[in-house]
Amino acid sequence: MKTWKLSDIGLFFKNSIQAILKGEFLLRLNIGRYFVHIAYTFLLFGLVIWFSLMIETTMSKVEKNKAVLKELEIVHSQKVFELVGVSRRGSVEDMLEQLGSNVKEADKPATVVKR
Amino acid sequence: MSTEATTPKPKKRDRIGVILYLLYVAMLIAALVLIVRLAGIQLFWRPDPKIADALTPSNTINIIEPARGNILDSEGRLLAISCPIYQFYMDCTVLKDTNSPEQEQAWLGKARDLAEGLAAEFGDRTAEQYYKLITDGRANGRKYVRIGHPVDRNVYNRVIALPLFRDGRYRSGMIVEQEHIRQYPYGKLARRTIGFVRNNKSDVANTHIGLEGKFDYVLHGQEGREWMRVTDYGRVRNSDSAYVKAVDGKDLRITLNIDYQDIADKALREQIAEEPDLEGACLVLMEVSTGAIRAMVNLVREDGNGPFEEIQNLAIGRKGEPGSVFKTVTLMSVLNDGFIKSLEETLPATNGNVAGTSIKDAHIPDFARQHHTNRISILDGFKISSNYVFATLAVKNYGIDKSKGRGKGLEKTERFLQNIYNYKLGEAFAFDLDGLQTPTIPSPSTRYWTDTDLGSIGFGYSTEETPLHILTFYNAIANKGRMMKPYLVEDIEENGIVTERRGPGVLNAAVCSKAVADTITRALKAVTEEGTARRLKDAKCAVAGKTGTSFGTYANGQYQDAMGRRKYQGTFVGFFPADKPQYSIICTVYSKPTSRQFQGGGIPARAIRTVVDQLYNIDPCFREELKRSTVTK
Repeated sequence: MKTWKLSDIGLFFKNSIQAILKGEFLLRLNIGRYFVHIAYTFLLFGLVIWFSLMIETTMSKVEKNKAVLKELEIVHSQKVFELVGVSRRGSVEDMLEQLGSNVKEADKPATVVKR
Repeated sequence: MSTEATTPKPKKRDRIGVILYLLYVAMLIAALVLIVRLAGIQLFWRPDPKIADALTPSNTINIIEPARGNILDSEGRLLAISCPIYQFYMDCTVLKDTNSPEQEQAWLGKARDLAEGLAAEFGDRTAEQYYKLITDGRANGRKYVRIGHPVDRNVYNRVIALPLFRDGRYRSGMIVEQEHIRQYPYGKLARRTIGFVRNNKSDVANTHIGLEGKFDYVLHGQEGREWMRVTDYGRVRNSDSAYVKAVDGKDLRITLNIDYQDIADKALREQIAEEPDLEGACLVLMEVSTGAIRAMVNLVREDGNGPFEEIQNLAIGRKGEPGSVFKTVTLMSVLNDGFIKSLEETLPATNGNVAGTSIKDAHIPDFARQHHTNRISILDGFKISSNYVFATLAVKNYGIDKSKGRGKGLEKTERFLQNIYNYKLGEAFAFDLDGLQTPTIPSPSTRYWTDTDLGSIGFGYSTEETPLHILTFYNAIANKGRMMKPYLVEDIEENGIVTERRGPGVLNAAVCSKAVADTITRALKAVTEEGTARRLKDAKCAVAGKTGTSFGTYANGQYQDAMGRRKYQGTFVGFFPADKPQYSIICTVYSKPTSRQFQGGGIPARAIRTVVDQLYNIDPCFREELKRSTVTK
């Protein structure tokens, strides 16, 4: 069994630098065996970026729709406020009077007809 | 062997190989430089903060405001709703530096049209004044000129469609600020009861008023939180960061019926509007069987002499000597304790002096003369609201036994006072609004107790009660002795589903027996038929009740000032229909120092008469049922 010496580290760096200078570093590592995995990793990187862009687009749509909904809620609450305001008993009486209507407050309780 | 054969031929350099090799080395060096540079930037380089801020995508936190819950009346009608308001401002300097002279003329032309539109919409300035405001602002470089006043959505839509403003904010300088505020569709009706929550920036300490304030923890909801980042598509939520959803506030369904509130408000305003000597009045309508408050009107003069507005809750927040309405308490006490068996029992009617005290009733000699008698029945005393009769009942039955020595023999007096506490007239019970005053009941064991106090309590002086306490007591009589706790909040709802039911509660299951309640009801009916509240005699349904008038004290302890003017507190309290009570009602008016009289049988009785007559026409419990006969041919 080979025993490692401190000089082996120096040898390793020397060989590595030589390999780099000769352009053989990856070939010496025999990286070709993992080519599929590397390609797959890059595919995943691409997908992540693509999904992020899609999420961003969707989120921007969500924000736009939220703004529309908020506008509609404002319009709704304003309409409700106006409608409730005119349903006040006193307001109805005043409006009827302005219209010259003969409709008046009841002057006796209602009679309920039951079977 | 030739030397040529053994000496290796010098390797011919491949030109393309050399070029590629040089390229490779160049790229290798570039890569090394990049790696060193990257490491340097990452570890040592610090960018200029301004440039860093400008180039770093902003990731800001956004607080999501929850929708505040609504307040609904007993029929589900909206009493309080949150709506936006808009305030317009203008950056008058917009495009000033970039416009050509022709473009500037066109801009000013549009500004003139805008000024006309703003003048028509807001009405606070003329078109010329608005135009001057804009042009002066443009000349002086003003970038935040306030336009008009806050407006609702409808006006907002019209204003943004005006000339110049319709060109958008970058061409017109229009700035709009939106704020959600609480709107009350029924205006001033029950405003003090519904209340409000003041802005925290307000310098007023009491920022939480009425139901809005007390139930703010229910109505407000919980803020949410989201992180936003700027992208090419605009500002979007950062889906990688934490997101806390806002929880909207819950709705509050209260017991007020806004129709009844309208009727009561109108009836009271009609009676007090033309009375400059009145400083305030209140009217409360309560359902007998549950204690649900159906109307609560509180009108006080704004700044002392202004119009009547809902600015103080007198019904719960102002206590005063109740006057003769308290005689019913004395009557219930003596009936409960068995000191009298019948309202027809009599007392001497000679000089009107209450034995053992300095109390004197000047009406008794008149009564004796008019009725040719020297006795007065308790019923007659109740009808004419005799102080003598009720002071005598209190002193005779609950007087201090002086033979036992100073500070002793208080048992009977304390029993009377204990009865008052049992009737819940001595405590501030739990109520749905803050500010219910604690009544004042004197104690014989204190040094402030005087010989006249017991007799005074008997006819409604020396004590202080709020109108709500008095009404709760009368409501118990109408409910045959069962004292219900007044309440305003029916339940708490979320999207129409009840999440917390509050409803009625009992303060005292039996303040008196049914027989005693019936006896008192008979006395109260006599008051409205033949006594001091005859104004209610011909109401559309029979009313049983009692009038009461008391005088407020001045700083010197007197009931009138140097000019002989008094401060009146006039009350009518009762219930209707007298025979099968559905509602109890109280109306109290408070006068300024005046030489005129404001009795309980006057304005309060008239206001209540109007309310009773109008409620009778519309309330379902007064409807008649007609059974249709099904005839088969």
